[in-house]
Amino acid sequence: MYKSFEFTKKIKSFLIAMLVIGAVLAAAGIAMNLDHTHRIWANVLLNGFFFTAIAMSAAFFVIVHVLGESGWHTAVQRIPEAMSLYVPVGGVFMLLVLVGMHDIYHWSHTEHLDEVLQGKAPYLNPLFFSIRTVAYIVIWSLLVLWFRKTSLKTDSTDDIKLFNKQRTIAGIFIVIFAVTSSTSAWDWIMSIDAHWFSTLFGWYMFVSTFVAAVAVIIVLLFILRRMGYMEHVNDEHLHDLGKYLFGFSIFWAYLWVSQYLLIWYSNIPEETVYYVKRIQDFETVFYANVIINFLAPFLILMARGTKRKLNWLIAAAVIVFIGHWIDMYLAIMPGATGHAEFGILEIGMTVFVLAVFLFVFFSRFAKAPVVPENHPYFKESFDYDNIR
Amino acid sequence: MYVSPVREPLISGEKSYSKVTEDIYAPMTGKPGKFWFGGLTLALIALGFGLFSIFITVWDGIGTWGLDRTIGWGWGITNFVWWVGIGHAGTFISAILLLFRQKWRTSINRSAEAMTIFAVMCAGLFPLIHMGRLPLGFFIFPYPNTRDVWVNFNSPLLWDVFAISTYLTVSLLFWYMGLIPDIGTIRDRLKEGIKKKVYWFLSFGWTGSARHWARHESMSLILAGLAAPLVLSVHTIVSFDFATSVIPGWHTTIFPPYFVSGAVFSGFAMVLTLMIITRKAINLEDYITKAHLESMNKIIIATGSIVGIAYITELFIAWYSGVVYEQYAFVNRAFGPYWWAYWIMMTCNVITPQLFWIKKIRRSFAATFVISIFVNIGMWFERFVIIVTSLHRDFLPSSWSMYSPTWVEVGIYIGTFGLFFTLFFLFIRFFPVIAIAEVKSVLKTSSEKFIKKGK
Amino acid sequence: MAQKAFVSGYYLDDKDLVEGIKALQEKNIEIADVRTPFPVHGLDTVLKMRRSRLPRAGFIAGAMGAAIGFGFQAWVFTEAWPLNFGGKPYLSVPSFIPVTFELTVLMAAFALVFGFLISSKLGPGADNIIFDEEVTNDRFQILLEVSGGNSDELQAELQSAGAEGVQHHDV
Repeated sequence: MYKSFEFTKKIKSFLIAMLVIGAVLAAAGIAMNLDHTHRIWANVLLNGFFFTAIAMSAAFFVIVHVLGESGWHTAVQRIPEAMSLYVPVGGVFMLLVLVGMHDIYHWSHTEHLDEVLQGKAPYLNPLFFSIRTVAYIVIWSLLVLWFRKTSLKTDSTDDIKLFNKQRTIAGIFIVIFAVTSSTSAWDWIMSIDAHWFSTLFGWYMFVSTFVAAVAVIIVLLFILRRMGYMEHVNDEHLHDLGKYLFGFSIFWAYLWVSQYLLIWYSNIPEETVYYVKRIQDFETVFYANVIINFLAPFLILMARGTKRKLNWLIAAAVIVFIGHWIDMYLAIMPGATGHAEFGILEIGMTVFVLAVFLFVFFSRFAKAPVVPENHPYFKESFDYDNIR
Repeated sequence: MYVSPVREPLISGEKSYSKVTEDIYAPMTGKPGKFWFGGLTLALIALGFGLFSIFITVWDGIGTWGLDRTIGWGWGITNFVWWVGIGHAGTFISAILLLFRQKWRTSINRSAEAMTIFAVMCAGLFPLIHMGRLPLGFFIFPYPNTRDVWVNFNSPLLWDVFAISTYLTVSLLFWYMGLIPDIGTIRDRLKEGIKKKVYWFLSFGWTGSARHWARHESMSLILAGLAAPLVLSVHTIVSFDFATSVIPGWHTTIFPPYFVSGAVFSGFAMVLTLMIITRKAINLEDYITKAHLESMNKIIIATGSIVGIAYITELFIAWYSGVVYEQYAFVNRAFGPYWWAYWIMMTCNVITPQLFWIKKIRRSFAATFVISIFVNIGMWFERFVIIVTSLHRDFLPSSWSMYSPTWVEVGIYIGTFGLFFTLFFLFIRFFPVIAIAEVKSVLKTSSEKFIKKGK
Repeated sequence: MAQKAFVSGYYLDDKDLVEGIKALQEKNIEIADVRTPFPVHGLDTVLKMRRSRLPRAGFIAGAMGAAIGFGFQAWVFTEAWPLNFGGKPYLSVPSFIPVTFELTVLMAAFALVFGFLISSKLGPGADNIIFDEEVTNDRFQILLEVSGGNSDELQAELQSAGAEGVQHHDV
């Protein structure tokens, strides 16, 4: 009844082509930038973090629906589920970052640190940082794999115990992720601007990548639909995904304003330095970030109709996805390279990592039925409607 | 609309549509019981005492409070923030949970929203009194005064004026629009007489026409869409009162979402405390069931844990920042002269709610009742810790000070309880406590009777 | 006011109501109104109701609220009486966000609520006619307007469409 997805040669060769193009461009970019290696490593971090965080956010998307006893999401659940399996692969890029640590994080030069950074040394030092990085990757990978395994088991049996087990895993997941989503963002991103600090930063980063993950779910759904799969997904599901994209884009803007306004208002130099740098040296990107990530989805998706039309929805999703890549760029580059540079290196690296991400997604997605048909709430997903 | 048989029914007992009407209308008929009169009398006494304390404050001046030059905000603002926080549950339930299609909200949204409105009224009282001269309260509105100077739009305190009055207005509109059909139901149950005329007037001539319902639903949905960010904005702006300053312990960027989460946390606790009593007192056990309890307790764990993480984040970043003032502020919180307030806050907000991870506890009315009171206490102390502990160690050590409330401040606080409960007792007597029409609309998908039939 | 008359029939279940409406529609009988104790899903499509224009009203009012809110603050602080607060610029955009937002929500909410009340002709003292007081309890009612004394005919139609009870009302 539900056409299972086949990872055809055509898709495979397309992705390999993408991979090669990305690799060639990235290699060219690297060759051109051999004398400022920090830019190369910053790009590894940018794409490594962005896609790993998207994969984790996709897992979070599933987990939060499991805990919330939701029914509608089961129609699309396998998409974020397969996305989440990218975590171990993305983790490899994060391990690579450890190699280039000295080019990104200036606190890692432990021999000459100022007084403030010496104070942070018990937390920010290469050894502890590496341990934490490995721990995040290992724990996250285990969690997503464990959930996936349990979810796949439901395909062959309708044992209700498995459903309860999913909830248990979800509970464990959310507790661990509640802490590590913040700490990983502090470690990997906030510590680039080593003197700067903001308590909100972890939550801000999480929401940013969560919005991106919702956008990616929509984009992947669109691609799958184009290839003739997922035809059971109806307007109501699109509407709900659209609401997520709309609502969390606004929530992202809320957090952005909260952080900016408080720092701007208090005007304490230790804090404003972060925005001063961004407004002075990354002016276009800085303002584009807000416009693309807030105004665009807000205006496009405000009406009911646009959330229910795949073409409008996909437009918003693509814009938001690019927008949050820019948001990551803005979080990383000013501290890591100091200049607003954009060229073959950035494009190549992004295309390459994106291709890896898509490759993992499609190959995992093909490994299982496209819907969890034995999920006890599965039928609910096809018999509900949004209020007009 | 299909509902999985695995789901727990929300409404127990054999309920028909008319039985729902009858059950919810029942507490409004007949003579009110001793419980009601006793409760109302107590509330009125408390209110009277509060009014007397306000009178003393206005007559003798703000010097009757325990404030000094260092600690300019004490119980007054603590209570203000506490009450506003409590006022977040109702609109959260009716707006955000409507957007998330949570059916269990139908049994509690009406009374929770009423509590919201009453709590915001109590909250609004404190800044007004705090300004000292009540008759000049209109100074806060944007008009050019005698020297053509306008209000300060850069001030978070002014944002508060806008946020809280907007919140009160929109919550009131949302609540009343939801009430209209139910007032219509009450009106049609009444015999001819003055009471019927009053309810006729209040029902706005509701007929139940399908066209009206369609518009009503459309309006409710968009109002919910507007109210959802509004709920967030109110406590966000309250948090700006603190966070825009440069006082260690106040100025931190996590405040907006963390305050909102804490507000929903305390609001749900208050709703639980009252609903557990009310359902017993007026026989609504079939409508507010363990399924509702569990769902609400899950929100308590979620928001409570967010608050807990925020505490730890603040603590960690205070150390991480390397700013000595920040570090001192947090050490002083935990081990300074107000250490007991800090540890009460930590215990009640971070530790006890975690008991809800145990299924037995989150499905027990008795345990929930106790824990919900703990949460209310904890959240009060949170605001006390933030306000008083951060202020009492001034940048200038010669200005260091200690604060304790006078009987006048305590009296006003008790008075707001009086106001809150007076309004609440009147509400459960004269309005349907549960949204009748909304419960009927989910009856087929969520009641025991229909779910059984489905099998 | 001209004499009007209606015929009403009631059902005890929303599904029967929808069936009844469909049966009447098949015979091309115009339905004056349907009254229910709670919003029945799918009724809007069955009755071919036009989508409400309330969202648009809310949007316009909200946009006005935003413009007024921001514009007013900007005018006060740049034109009417510019004051220096902590070295911030006169036109300090971040500071204006909260009040702008609140006014947006407030005006949109007013537009929605009053739009709803006015378009539905509801309000304090509205004297709409209630044909059956049980509608707000558990009856799902169909109203048909009598024209040219076809009351008996319509009553029979309602009965054949499955109504539990039918009645004639003179207004």
